[in-house]
Amino acid sequence: MKKWLLGSLIGALVVCLGIGTLFAAPIKIGFFAPLTGFAAADGTSAKNAVMLAVEEVNKSGGLNGNPVKLIVYDDRDNPKESVAIANKLIEKDKVIAVVSGSYSTPTRVTAPIFNKAGIPMVAGYAVDPSITKAGPYIFRNGFLGEIEGKAAGEVAVNLLKAKTLALFTIDNDFGRALSRGFHARAKKFGGKVVYEHAFAIGTKDFSAMLTKVKGLSPDLLFISGYYEEAALAVKQARELGLTCKILGEEGFDSPKFLELAGDAAEGVVITTNLNRDDPRPFVQDFIKQYKAKYGMEPDMVGASSYDAFMIVANAIRKAGTNPKAIRDAIASTKNFDGLTGLIKHFNKIGEVMKPVQVQVVKNGAFHYYGVISDPEIITPPEK
Amino acid sequence: MPLQGKVIGMLAQQIVNGITIGSIYALIALGLTIVYGVLKILHIAHAGVYAMGAYLGLWAYRFIPNLFLAMIVAMALSGVSGIVIERFLYKSMLDKSRIVPLIASIGLFIAMEEAFRIISGPYVKAFPVHFRQKPWIFGSVRISAPQMLVFGVTIALLVLLWWVISKTRMGKALRAVSMDREMADALGVATERIISLSFFISSALAGAAGVLVGVFYNSVYPTMGDIPAYKALAIIVLGGMGSIPGTILGAFLVGISETFLIGFVNIPLPRDALAFIVMIAVLMFRPYGLLGKE
Amino acid sequence: MTVSITIGIYVILAISLNIITGYAGQISLGHAAFFGIGAYASGMLATRLGAPFFICLPFAIVVTGIVGAILGIPCLRVREDFLAITTMGINFVVQAVFLYVPFFGGALGISNIPLPSLNGVEMTKSVYLVMVVLFVLIAIVIDGWLTRSWTGLALASIREDETAAEMSGVNLTRFKVIAFVLGSAMAGLAGGLYAHFMSFISAQDFGFPESIVILSMVVFGGIGTLRGPIIGAIILGVAPEFFRPILDYRTLLYGAMLVVLMRFQPQGLLGIDSFIIRNVKRLWKKETVVNEISA
Repeated sequence: MKKWLLGSLIGALVVCLGIGTLFAAPIKIGFFAPLTGFAAADGTSAKNAVMLAVEEVNKSGGLNGNPVKLIVYDDRDNPKESVAIANKLIEKDKVIAVVSGSYSTPTRVTAPIFNKAGIPMVAGYAVDPSITKAGPYIFRNGFLGEIEGKAAGEVAVNLLKAKTLALFTIDNDFGRALSRGFHARAKKFGGKVVYEHAFAIGTKDFSAMLTKVKGLSPDLLFISGYYEEAALAVKQARELGLTCKILGEEGFDSPKFLELAGDAAEGVVITTNLNRDDPRPFVQDFIKQYKAKYGMEPDMVGASSYDAFMIVANAIRKAGTNPKAIRDAIASTKNFDGLTGLIKHFNKIGEVMKPVQVQVVKNGAFHYYGVISDPEIITPPEK
Repeated sequence: MPLQGKVIGMLAQQIVNGITIGSIYALIALGLTIVYGVLKILHIAHAGVYAMGAYLGLWAYRFIPNLFLAMIVAMALSGVSGIVIERFLYKSMLDKSRIVPLIASIGLFIAMEEAFRIISGPYVKAFPVHFRQKPWIFGSVRISAPQMLVFGVTIALLVLLWWVISKTRMGKALRAVSMDREMADALGVATERIISLSFFISSALAGAAGVLVGVFYNSVYPTMGDIPAYKALAIIVLGGMGSIPGTILGAFLVGISETFLIGFVNIPLPRDALAFIVMIAVLMFRPYGLLGKE
Repeated sequence: MTVSITIGIYVILAISLNIITGYAGQISLGHAAFFGIGAYASGMLATRLGAPFFICLPFAIVVTGIVGAILGIPCLRVREDFLAITTMGINFVVQAVFLYVPFFGGALGISNIPLPSLNGVEMTKSVYLVMVVLFVLIAIVIDGWLTRSWTGLALASIREDETAAEMSGVNLTRFKVIAFVLGSAMAGLAGGLYAHFMSFISAQDFGFPESIVILSMVVFGGIGTLRGPIIGAIILGVAPEFFRPILDYRTLLYGAMLVVLMRFQPQGLLGIDSFIIRNVKRLWKKETVVNEISA
């Protein structure tokens, strides 16, 4: 008789625990980035930042009481792999939202897949305009090339007071969009572009182009590119004796740029996402924690991916675990306090509206130089 | 400054830039052509040895504050690794179809790059060398200290190579083996040793090139061998596979063309494709390369 | 499902490369270029002119075959080592054309290539898979016919000893071009299937590394055989999925595998006289002998 009572008590306990774990079911969020291959540096940076975000969320009790489980895949910046990954995340892992910590190609190939499946995705830093056009479930936390270009133009002509301008444009869509925005804004305020040269990704030697620029003596050189090319261009420029002001963009935003360019980086101004001198404590905390955990400074890629995740987490907190509700919550995000600035809102097609940070390299580190929040510049296009 | 002076100055500077790049290409491509001459193998993993040289140089420089000594260490270790590759890999493939060593080489190259990434991390590493030498300035032409380093080392190595190949017995044996391996063997040449020697020389040159590139561009990273892998092949073909002077000529030709095309024409050329285009252009007039033989 | 379709496409690609490199003995390091030409041809016809799938696909096959013929002719006059580098060069140049000539979409590539549809109803993935399998079977049949035909015989003679073949009256150029055209056209077919399945294609899908992937499938399975490329494509196509747990070492293992394979088993896993085939034959013989004795 007693045994029977004990048995049923234990049974009831087990059932309760079981139901309990059901309720504490982990919230699965998908994440993909290039973790091996040539793009591994950026992908790893994004992953590290997002893992930090997940830890933080779980430390404070998870989302609505449930722990977050980040499902990470390596896409090697390869569209075929990312398609396979997307299908896996949807069918096998059954995630309720996705963060892209990857480049444009994997993000834009998978965007229609996620959109069709009704799973919301926020892209951290992928720049291709067609990504958000895939549908209402896709959002982007990064700047469109044209907007950042306009901001850069503003910095060049109105903040740095340059009259004659030279451009080194990286030969991809982002670079071209940057160039377009830059031209438009600079011309509006009387700047004159005296030289522009597009260069292929992976270019190591800028001596030919720089020699040309030296002969023209512009006030400012605007370089678009990722930190490897940027560092080389800046270093070679100074070695060649070029003394004009150098302006860069978010691709420069990495401790690697500072390391590789060395002294030559001093005085370089960039438009970007992350303000190192941001007075808000949670930004400083992030920088400190990132350095402590990973032994290096965070960069734009990491900060943007972190924010992308937090936007998703925030939406889940507000709307629960239904993907459509999460999607609606993301779309109605207003004035969200992100690492990368006050995110005002997402527009109709999912593009973010937030101010552009301007940073300068002083004493070997990035510091606050200014911020561009003129709506004329930072409002993203509606289609 | 009057216009002509400015243009000439710019031209001269571009030539300096082109020769710098050409020197590095020459050091890399030479190793490839020597291996081809001796074994008739397309040693794609050569680019892996080049990258390894850069890493070795970076590592050695941490303990040996003298750049030249660090470079010699890197060269020696690279040379040895070349011999290892030859002994353990290519030696057993000499009698098989051409595809076998080719694929093995590609597989090795892939594995090496990944090994660099796993051991050293995917990030670009800096190779900071403080040059005390101030740049030389002639009018509007400026030769920086790193450029002087590249010129100096390349000239020194080329002279050394020339001396070994033409003035020593080893060099003569090497030329014999390149021309006809079986005949040389029949004539009593220690072919096996010569083959190992040629791998040592080739890999040492690649190692030197790696260190130079690491220092000159202040960057060492796992996939730095990618572009040289393809480009060096195009260069040895256009120069004449197996011909040392042809390869040197081809290397400078490509280096200068790249610089001029970018400096004077406003097209964002994919530099890899350019080397192949030059190669195809040369092959149309000289089907065996600039200085190649039947 | 995605994996199966991808593997099917790679089987076709491997078989096509095998015709050029395995049967005719012409080293091609740029096969991905033909894959790309087929994909772009089909994709562009679909998106620019709105042509239906069943017109795009034959178009892709024909276009790629023609390009194969054009590129093949100068290629084949060239010596073996030159051929390897020349095909590599072709790969780079074709890729550069796709990347830099705006007509081909530039870095963005071609997007929104539709799945094939009949009477407005879009094909589902499962049906697409069936279609791919069908094409795989067709490829296998063509391959089988080739080896048994006069053409196949001629190719084999060329592969073994070009000089001897020429002396026996084999028109080298003609047969090499045939192999090239056949191989490239089939690659074009694979390209078309790929384009409509992925719906996005860009130049980076068709570079030299891709050519190596295809070549290693052929070599892994056993170059010069029919079963080789098929097995190679299946095993190497599925492997990434199994290797996901040791993500970080995947590529390293891949490279090491190629080295080890070439060092110890260059004829491929199921190639002529490979370890596996020899043992299978031995067991088969044993069985037959036992049966005969007991009979």
